[in-house]
Order: sequence, then C-alpha cells, then structure tokens
Amino acid sequence: GGFSKMASPKTLPKDAQVMIQILKDMGITEYEPRVINQMLEFTYRYVTTIIEDAKIYATHAKKSNVDADDIRLAIQCRMDQSFTSPPPRDFLLEVARQKNQTPLPLIKPYTGPRLPPDRYCLTAPNYRLKSLQKKTSSSAGRITVPRLSVGAVSSRPSTPTLGELMRKLYVYTTSTPSTPTVQNVLINPSLIGSKNILITTNMVSQNSTSDSSTLKRKHEEDDDYDAL
Amino acid sequence: MAAVQDGQIEPESEKEIKSETLNDATGNHAAAVGGLLPSSPVSTASVGASNSSKAAASEDQQTLLAVLQFLKRNKLVESADILRREAGLLEESDDAQGSEGGRDELGGASADEGGEAASLFSRVTSATGASGIATGPAPSKVAQGSEDQPDVSVVLSAYSQQGDPALYQMYYSGLKKFIESVLDCHRAELSQLFYPLFVHMYLELVYNNHEQEAKEFFEKFHGDQECYYRDDLRVLSGMSKKEHMRGNETLLDFRTSKFVLRISRDSYQLLKRHLQERQNNQIWNIIQEHLYIDIFDGMPRSKSQIDSMSGSLAGEAKREANKAKVFYGLLKEPEIEVPLDDEDEEAENEEGKPKKKKPKKDSMGSKSKKQDPNAPQQNRIPLPELKDSDKLDKIMYMKEATKRIRLGPDNLPSICFYTFLNAYQGLTAVDITDDSSLIAGGFADSTVRVWSVTPRKLRAVKSATDLSLIDKESEDVLERIMDEKTASESKILYGHNGPVYGISFSPDRNYLLSCSEDGTVRLWSLQTFTCLVCYKGHNYPVWDVQFSPHGYYFTSGGHDRVARLWATDHYQPLRMFAGHLADITCTRFHPNSNYLATGSADRTVRLWDILNGNCNRIFTGHKGPIHSLAFSPNGKFLASGATDGRVLLWDIGRGLMIEELNGHTDTIYALKFSRDGEILASGSMDNTVRLWDAVKAFDDIETDDFTAATGHVHLSENSLELQLGTYTSKSTPVIHLHFTRRNLLLAAGGYNP
Repeated sequence: GGFSKMASPKTLPKDAQVMIQILKDMGITEYEPRVINQMLEFTYRYVTTIIEDAKIYATHAKKSNVDADDIRLAIQCRMDQSFTSPPPRDFLLEVARQKNQTPLPLIKPYTGPRLPPDRYCLTAPNYRLKSLQKKTSSSAGRITVPRLSVGAVSSRPSTPTLGELMRKLYVYTTSTPSTPTVQNVLINPSLIGSKNILITTNMVSQNSTSDSSTLKRKHEEDDDYDAL
Repeated sequence: MAAVQDGQIEPESEKEIKSETLNDATGNHAAAVGGLLPSSPVSTASVGASNSSKAAASEDQQTLLAVLQFLKRNKLVESADILRREAGLLEESDDAQGSEGGRDELGGASADEGGEAASLFSRVTSATGASGIATGPAPSKVAQGSEDQPDVSVVLSAYSQQGDPALYQMYYSGLKKFIESVLDCHRAELSQLFYPLFVHMYLELVYNNHEQEAKEFFEKFHGDQECYYRDDLRVLSGMSKKEHMRGNETLLDFRTSKFVLRISRDSYQLLKRHLQERQNNQIWNIIQEHLYIDIFDGMPRSKSQIDSMSGSLAGEAKREANKAKVFYGLLKEPEIEVPLDDEDEEAENEEGKPKKKKPKKDSMGSKSKKQDPNAPQQNRIPLPELKDSDKLDKIMYMKEATKRIRLGPDNLPSICFYTFLNAYQGLTAVDITDDSSLIAGGFADSTVRVWSVTPRKLRAVKSATDLSLIDKESEDVLERIMDEKTASESKILYGHNGPVYGISFSPDRNYLLSCSEDGTVRLWSLQTFTCLVCYKGHNYPVWDVQFSPHGYYFTSGGHDRVARLWATDHYQPLRMFAGHLADITCTRFHPNSNYLATGSADRTVRLWDILNGNCNRIFTGHKGPIHSLAFSPNGKFLASGATDGRVLLWDIGRGLMIEELNGHTDTIYALKFSRDGEILASGSMDNTVRLWDAVKAFDDIETDDFTAATGHVHLSENSLELQLGTYTSKSTPVIHLHFTRRNLLLAAGGYNP
C-alpha cells in the first residue's frame, strides 16, 4: 500500500522527470510520489554543499574560478566524511584473526547482573532541576539551593557536566552553616537501574551537620562507585 | 604464439608494443610480454625453488616486480633490463604459500593505503596466489612456457588490463561459441563460467577507465546471464566509472576474491584444451586470475543440480570448506529435581528424579550417561551456571513440556496471529519470550515497545529508597520489589537513534537487546525498563541481534560484513566473524550455543565456530539475500529463507543441502521449527504462513558415496508434498513466528493495508 497514481509526467518539472528516469534505471518501480521530492531535495542539498566546499578550496588555492579539481576534492572530502564505507575485507580478516586468538574468558559465578564496568554502562544517576526556589530571607553566606524533587526521568545517558554541577552545589551546601531553611539534598545512586531518584528533605538545623557528614560520605561512595 | 617461444625481443619492439597497448595489432599483449623476460626457459627451473620461498621473500619479490612494472610503464626500458638482470628476477611471482603470507602482510598495508599502486598490486597478485587450478601435473610448463604467462600478465594487469579492452567482446563471444558447441552433458557445467567471467571482465574494464567499452560489453552480454543474477546485473549497470566502484566494498571484494566453480574433470579438460590452443589465451588468463575451479571426479552435473547450488556472490563452496567437524549435538541438560505436584498422576519416584513422560528430552532422563559423539563438551565454551531462578524456569519448562501437543501432518498447530495496528509500516522487528509471556516490537521511529501477552501487567522495580523499606526476608519479596504504581500493559523504551532492526529477549526474561541503524546494540532491563548498556562496535547499521539460548552471550551482524559475539559484561566483542562479502542480515545461535549461523546479502549462509572464530560451513544455493534462519531443535539441521521465496534445508553434519521448499512468492522473514522439530513454519511478505513437514523432509535424505564425496545432491521435487498448509492473513506480512511451549504457533506482523 502507499503507492498512488503519480502526476502526469508532462506536467512535472524537468528535474522531476529526470529523477523518475534515474529511479527507473536503478530498477526501482514502486515508490510513493513523495520519494521524488525527497530525492530532489537531497540532490539539491548535496550539490550545493559540494559546490560551496569547492569554492572554499578554490579561494584557498587563490584561484579566481572554481575548476574541476576543486570539485573533485570537495567530493572526495565529503565522501570520507559522510558517505564512509565499511573497512575492506582483508583488514577485517586481520582484525578478526587477532581477536579470535584470545580464548573466551571464563565466567565468574553470579555476583549480580553481569554488566560491564560502570563507566561503560548507562546506569549512573541522572539529575534534573525541577524549579528554582525563591529566597525567603537574605543573609550573608546563605546559599540558595534549588529545590530538587522526585522525578523518574526517562532513561537517557547522564550528562556528566550537569551531574558535576549538581555535585558541586551539593558539596557547597553541606559546608554552609546550617539554618532551618536550608534544604539538603539526598542523592541516592540506584544500583539497580538508571532510576533517577532525587529526594528533597527538609533537615532540621541541629541534625544537619551530622547529616551532612553522612551525606558527604555517601557522596564519596558515589565517587568510588563511579570510578570502578 | 611464435613470440612466446622467442626469448629475444629487442627493446624497440617492446616500446612499440607498449605504445600500442590500446590498439593492439597482435591481440596478444600478454604473450608478447611473456616472451620479453629473457630468462624464461632458465627460470622455470628456479621456479621450483621459488615455490617454497617464504612469505618475506615473496613480499620482496612482489615489491621488485612492482618496481619493474613501474619502470616498464614509464618506458625506462634499459633500467628495467638492468633491474631484472641484477635482481635475478623470476617470473613466477607467486606461489600458494608465499602469496598467502603476502596477502596477510600486504593486507595490512593496503588497509593503510600506503601507496595505491602497491595495495592494488597486492590485491591482484594475492588473488592469484592460491593455485588456481587444483589439477595434478601442469603439463604445459615445459612444453610451451605459457604457464609463465598468466603470472606475468597478472603482474601487468595491475596497471594495464589483460589484453585489449576492445577485444574483450571477442574473447567472450569466442568462449560463448565454444561452450554452445560442446556436448550437452558438459554444457551445463561450462555455462557456469559465463556469469563470473562477465562480471570480472566488466569490472576490469570499468576499473581501468574504459567506460565506453564497458558499456558496450555490458549491453551485448548481460542478457545471456542466468535470471537469478538479475539484481547483481542491475547494480553493475549503474556503475560505469571507477569512482562508482570506490564505495562499494562488496564489489571490490568480489573483484579480489576468487569465484569458486565446481566442474567435473572431463568438462574441465575439454575447456582447458580449447583455451590453451590458438589465440584463446586471454580468456585462460582471466579464468586463472579470477576463478577457482574445484575439480571433482565423476559425472558432470545436470543443469538443475547446478542451479540449486549456485546463486551466491562467491560461487559455490569448495569441498574442503565444508569438511570440518561440527559438533551439532545438544548439550546435556542439567539434572534438576522436580518437586512432584498433586495434579500429576505419575507414580512417585523415591529419588525425586523426573520420571514423567517427556516427548523428546532423552538427555533429561539421564538414561545415556556417555557423551554424544556429536555433541560438544560441556565446557567447550564457558557458559553461565544456572541460578535458582533459572532452575525454577527449567522446572516450569518441563511441566509445560508434558502438556505439549504432538504435531504432525494430521495434527497441525493452531495459529494465533498478533497484528500490530497503526504501525504504518514502521514495525521492523518482533520477538517473543520463550514462555510466550512478553512480546516486544522494534519500530522505525527508534522506539522499542514491550507488551505483556498474559493478563499480568508489566511493572517496574521500586526506587531505591522504597526498596530499603520492604521486608527482605518475606516469602513474596519478588512481588514486593515491584512498584504497583507503574503497572501498565505496555512499556516504551527510548534510546536508539535510528530504526530498530532486531530485538531479542534473554532466556531468563531479565534483559532485552535491540540493535539499530545507528550502529549500536542496547541492553535494556525488563525490571526497571531502562537502558543499561550501549554496545558500540559496528559503526554501520546492525541488522540482527540474538541472545544465546543459555543467556550471557549474544551476537550481532550488520552492514560492515562482520558478525560479532559479545558477552553482556564485556563492552567489546569477544569474537569477530569476518568472511562474508556483503552485509550480514541474519544471525542465529545453534541450540548448544557453540556455533553461530549467519545469513548474508551475498546469498550464502555460513556456520561459525564460537570457540575459535573459524568458518566451518558455507552453504550456497539461495538466489537472494537471506533474511531468516532456524535451527532444528535437535541441532542437526538448519533452515534458511531468502528474498527468492525459497526455504532451503541443510544438513549441518554433512554440509549438504537436503531440501528446497518452494511455495512462497516473496521474502521469507520468519522461520521456526516446532518444539519437537516435526513441523517447520515459515512466514513471508506475501502475507502467508506455511507449514512444512520437517520429519518427512529429513527422512528423505539419500546418501550415497558420490553425494558424500562431492557434496552434490539430487533434490527430489516434492515441495508440494511437504507443504502441509497455507494460511493467509488479510494484508499483514508475517515477520515473526514462535511456537509456545505447548506447540501453539504464534505469528506477528504489522498491518499493512
């Protein structure tokens, strides 16, 4: 399904007619009419990219006109960039030969899900800001901490920069003098999956220091965990 | 031919000949040059010595030859002479061992593209290296000296084509006329030459920038080729310039690899005699360069026999390619004590050992203590040990197995079709768990969706803090870890960057694998419904992925023509299986997890040994890219389905084709054997599911000495008898089939109005 009658070839622009002919020569007989437009768009985009590149090369070579060599170079560079092809067979055979020489590794007894080291997994906790909290009262040395809430974020690989940013804020938070209005963040790296869990707790000021030390310890664990 | 005998040719004539390369009056360029090397009669003696040269020496030799060639090309004739004399150059540039070593070493060089000339040269010469003709004595060596010619012309062909491009048409029509004139019994066999010769000559012309001649050559002869090569010819017709070939790795590999033909000794002698007389040396040279003729003693094959085995891009398989021992037996099942239920009316066994009637599982009954000679050792490849949950699964399996229906020609399975609605042709992959409780679909919009087939909804595991609150010692801890709030009929998994082309559930239902056009394979947890690992290795679309029947290992195959074996806890592949000429479209594990079958767009099926990465079997016969594979439950047989609408059955142990099942009219995307191997179900793009009688097909194997020795089968034309039923859906192509543990057939496809 999906193949409907095309517009009469006479009413189509010449480019489209040429494209239809090309498709026919390559043996493609059934296609939706939109395909012609998509192919033409691709052709236009490709040709303009090549010509633009060729113009850059020509100016670089201090030529006033773009000539065939520039075009050839432009095509080749683009080919190596976007239209790469798989490695040649002899290279693959050689790589395969080396790889297949090492014996299969023995399997350790079950100690949990058999997954690669954590840095190769996508199981690191993720962070997400929900909203910023307005300052209630200002005093020197107080840090405004954005309120973070429980959120099950969909499985996306964690962005290290954001995580680091949050971690920095977190550390900063714990070292400030505790006040009743400071909100501490409990970050719980999930060991099971990349469940992204953040829970805010309103800690009472007296307990905050002790809590901050436990939290800090957890944070270090977090570091160790990631460094495995 | 007189020029051949004459060892003395002045430099001037050489120059003349060189400049007239393109409009060659003599029409025997190679022959003339062959006579050029002055030491030709003398060097035949030293050729013997060179035959045992080591790889390094041969590499130096080839470099020398390349330099010599360069000098000649630039008309530095006297320098060429001096070099030749000083280096004591031998014309016999290759021998079997030397070139293979050369190929390995130069292969690396050519990959780096250190000098296009050298790599080009090495590709061409290493292709000839393997002694092309597996005959006994080479009689003409002393007599004519023309045996030296092919090697010289090979050397030359790196830079100039063999013979005059304008005369290629003449060579080809000459061969055509000859083959049409031979006896009927030989004609079918010799006609196999047409296609590879045509393609190689055409590629030769294109590669050497003779666009016009190439086009004319193609126009004249493409109609003569077999109909099943039509797709290849269409691809070829689109390439008329050398630049067109550049990105097409498949054609480049085709050009440098040898097309294998199986010809009987009589036909071969006929051919050889004809080509070595008169002015047919050109074709002979080309044949020796590009074809590998595997000679067998016996009756020439008939056209139908040849047709059934040919069609692949690399010709047929050499006989010794299919001779390695393959351990196709099944692994022993572990003995598990089954707790007896009240509902079963079996007599109680004191030991608690399973004594229930099981239709097939003889290994379970632990009756045969000794090792099946055809089964691999238990520890041949490391396999994960059984966890408690796995043991429970196995017990469930055995219980269900007792309730299994025995299928047969008079007891066909019921078929339940799961139609994916509103997929808008975007459904690209489906998998069902072994116990038929979950279905997953991979879509062109890069999502993976998992549905629960049973009324039980899908739940994700609770968050970490909630988990710390539950009672870990309670009986139903496995229920308590699930978060009721997340219960739903289906779950969507996001993560891929392109259409998802393959999915596979793990046997323990904890993980799901998916592979996609973005070149990655992702492992998803079915307990948290999040992505755990992203395996990067293929940089090109991955077409198929499958977990091993024992879990832990999985395999993937894609556009880069390599299949990889991974383990879930290694971020890099453990094994790489390279050898196919085109994309790998389908990968399947053998039931004993020791072997891997791959089907490819080069129309061959290969069986690989996981232990050492060797290719143990090459099965040719399909006329189109292979899209589905299925191992029989007993591990002995393999079924494959392709775009040509045929299902082929292969005997793994003997490496033979057993049966050809015709019936489908479009690509077959799904193949499955029933649980006990009695019925083979196939699903195709022509919206049908067909059932075939597997027991009958495997009983009909005729084995005689000839078959065993040569690998030629005589297929009985009884596809119709073997077909047990055809079931059409309204307008839904079938892309997945699954037999439940009780032998109910489930089919899946996306509705395509």
